[in-house]
Amino acid sequence: MKYPPGTVRALLDTPHVSEATRAALQQRLDAPPYEPQFFDAETYRLLGAVCARLLPQPERAAPDAIDLPAGIDERLASGKSDGWRYDVLPPDREAYRLGLGGIQQAAQTEFGQNFLALSPEQQNQVLAAVQAGTAPGDLWLKVDAPRFFEELLAEATILYYSHPLGQEEIGYAGMADLPAWTRIGLDEREEREPQEAK
Amino acid sequence: MPDEEELLEEGVVSPVQPDIQDPLLRKLLQAEPATADTPEPRPDKLPEPDDEVDCVVIGTGAGGAPLLARLALAGLRVVALEAGPRHEPRRDFATDEEAQRFLFWNDERLSAGKDPLSFGNNNSGTGVGGSTLHYTAYTPRVQPDDLRIRTEFGVGEDWPLSYEDLAPYYDELEWLLGISGPSPYPWGPARQRGYPLPPLPLNGAAQLMQRACEKLGIRTSPAANAAVSARYYQEGIGWREACTNRGFCQAGCSNGAKASMDVTFIPLAEAHGAEVRADCFVTEIERDAQGRVTGVVYQQHGQQQRQRCRTLFLCAGAVETPRLLLLNELALSSGQVGRNLMAHPGLQLWGTFEEMVRPYKGIPGGLISEDTHRPADADFAGGYLLQSIGVMPVTFASQVARSRGLWGQPLREYLQQYNHVAGINILGDCLPHTDNYLELSEEKDARGLPKPRVHFTNQENEQRMNAHAERVMRRIWEAAGARDIWTFPRSAHVIGTCRMGLSGDDAVVDADGRCFGVPNLYICDNSVFPSALSVNPALTIMALSLRTADRFLEKRQRLDL
Repeated sequence: MKYPPGTVRALLDTPHVSEATRAALQQRLDAPPYEPQFFDAETYRLLGAVCARLLPQPERAAPDAIDLPAGIDERLASGKSDGWRYDVLPPDREAYRLGLGGIQQAAQTEFGQNFLALSPEQQNQVLAAVQAGTAPGDLWLKVDAPRFFEELLAEATILYYSHPLGQEEIGYAGMADLPAWTRIGLDEREEREPQEAK
Repeated sequence: MPDEEELLEEGVVSPVQPDIQDPLLRKLLQAEPATADTPEPRPDKLPEPDDEVDCVVIGTGAGGAPLLARLALAGLRVVALEAGPRHEPRRDFATDEEAQRFLFWNDERLSAGKDPLSFGNNNSGTGVGGSTLHYTAYTPRVQPDDLRIRTEFGVGEDWPLSYEDLAPYYDELEWLLGISGPSPYPWGPARQRGYPLPPLPLNGAAQLMQRACEKLGIRTSPAANAAVSARYYQEGIGWREACTNRGFCQAGCSNGAKASMDVTFIPLAEAHGAEVRADCFVTEIERDAQGRVTGVVYQQHGQQQRQRCRTLFLCAGAVETPRLLLLNELALSSGQVGRNLMAHPGLQLWGTFEEMVRPYKGIPGGLISEDTHRPADADFAGGYLLQSIGVMPVTFASQVARSRGLWGQPLREYLQQYNHVAGINILGDCLPHTDNYLELSEEKDARGLPKPRVHFTNQENEQRMNAHAERVMRRIWEAAGARDIWTFPRSAHVIGTCRMGLSGDDAVVDADGRCFGVPNLYICDNSVFPSALSVNPALTIMALSLRTADRFLEKRQRLDL
């Protein structure tokens, strides 16, 4: 790790963070264990396994890991949109249903096994084929594989780096913007910004 | 797209509920369950408010707010209808990208073509202030030749007005908004006076670009930005506090330093008697037998309302403006509504530096160069400008995911260099093309209205411009000491779709913004641009807005409505 753990969490308790900002970040830190509302249990496990390949968190055990499938399930259940969709993809709920089904189909075709039963390397192989648009299975006739992969990856990535733990990892301290940033040039650090390990 | 019913039967996932994409709407519909699935039959009678106002303005962004203030100052009774809510930025705006998603127009649009456009946080806002709530605050003026691209290159369209028509409005705006910028500005015609405030300080990306361009002989300058570099007095509003360099312009300014409409023209308009109604989504534009607009019907908090008016100003942006016209089959005689859709080439180039950049601090677009406005070695029409860019972490991470296609450990490892990355981008002209247009799709949103489908493909001119820009930016970033350089292909603002022109045969509105064939309907937003221009559009939209109001008021004085 380039940055020490705990930096964002420590900043949250300082007057450098506004009330609205603190509320948003603290809520993500304090999120209770999540029960899926949109996906059935089996598909939700599949989504979890896929997210674990897209953004693996080997250093964080289950309750401390950033819960990516929860964010996706919650959004799909509530029907939120980010304002646009590739016209080649069906509506988000169908796209996820078909895309995850397609990943499962590709795992079965390539390795004769459930995606969850594959080794991480095999899982990566399946996902790389989806990204490249070469994964086998007739579900991919109904959903554009590379675009689905892009959407899924973007959503997981946004969830990951919106979380205080993801932000600590990259040394982001922008949430602590009160009262102002004055040292903004190259190699200029303010005291409250984390230092990178050499 | 596969048939929806068929999909619902293949049980991979539990059955879905009706698809309501917009959270605000969902809330409304939960309160009014009867409207959830079936589009409501058009009611025979609405409560008929006995008052008719002089003007209704739809939309409160850069197109609607300046003219709203102008009309109110002239003593007219004016009502603005804004689809989104009114915010209290000081209290409610978090320095957190996800928490600020409410600023974006999140009703789903369908993006088609070979280079599908992204909407939402890329270019589409909602709320009192419209997209200016999340614009980057770049405020360069257009250069005169951009308005005559057909005369100069034989392609695209000339504007039916000239730089001289806009210049007095630019000047007025720069002083009213409190633009921070260099005086004199190094490019374009000489000006009546300089900017009212000195430029904002340069952040890491701006310093890197400055240093490299100096080596290469490319002129740069601190950019003109609509965020006040010092405390600034605003007529009708009071003092605005200086920018605190929080770098969050694209996700909402929380201290009023950025000149969004909610801290400038809207309070000014309200101080002079304008009424701004938030949470009002207009669905219908009503007409009399002669085809003149008589009023609008809108939804507010689940209730249908009507507001009668003598003149309507449609300022809803290059997607919702044509969508509303198409839905209402209004002003379609030219056949141009929805056509001539353009999008600014906004190619970004990123690199990793030895130095600490911490790209979240400072005004994102600190440094500019317009030396590429008409490059000597260009093999394309028009030109572009160069800007350094700061970036918020979630925006950056999602771009890395989408464009570099990194995932797994390589994605996490790359993003650990976030504090060492800096970027530059372009903002270039775009030509209209028959393949690029907006239409209504078959797919309905939760209001029962067809979603817009936007077709966009970069044509030869945009491709050549992007290729040229990539070479130039790569040279600059290599000279600045970047490694691991990559590009993020991107289109920025949507432009066109209701273009202005000299004749109703090939344009929707005249040079004053008045619709051909519907004399009391005006349009003012980025939809009326006949060509895309090689500068960020906000200042020019505002200039057109003031000009549209002045032209309307002049006509009105002559009783020539």
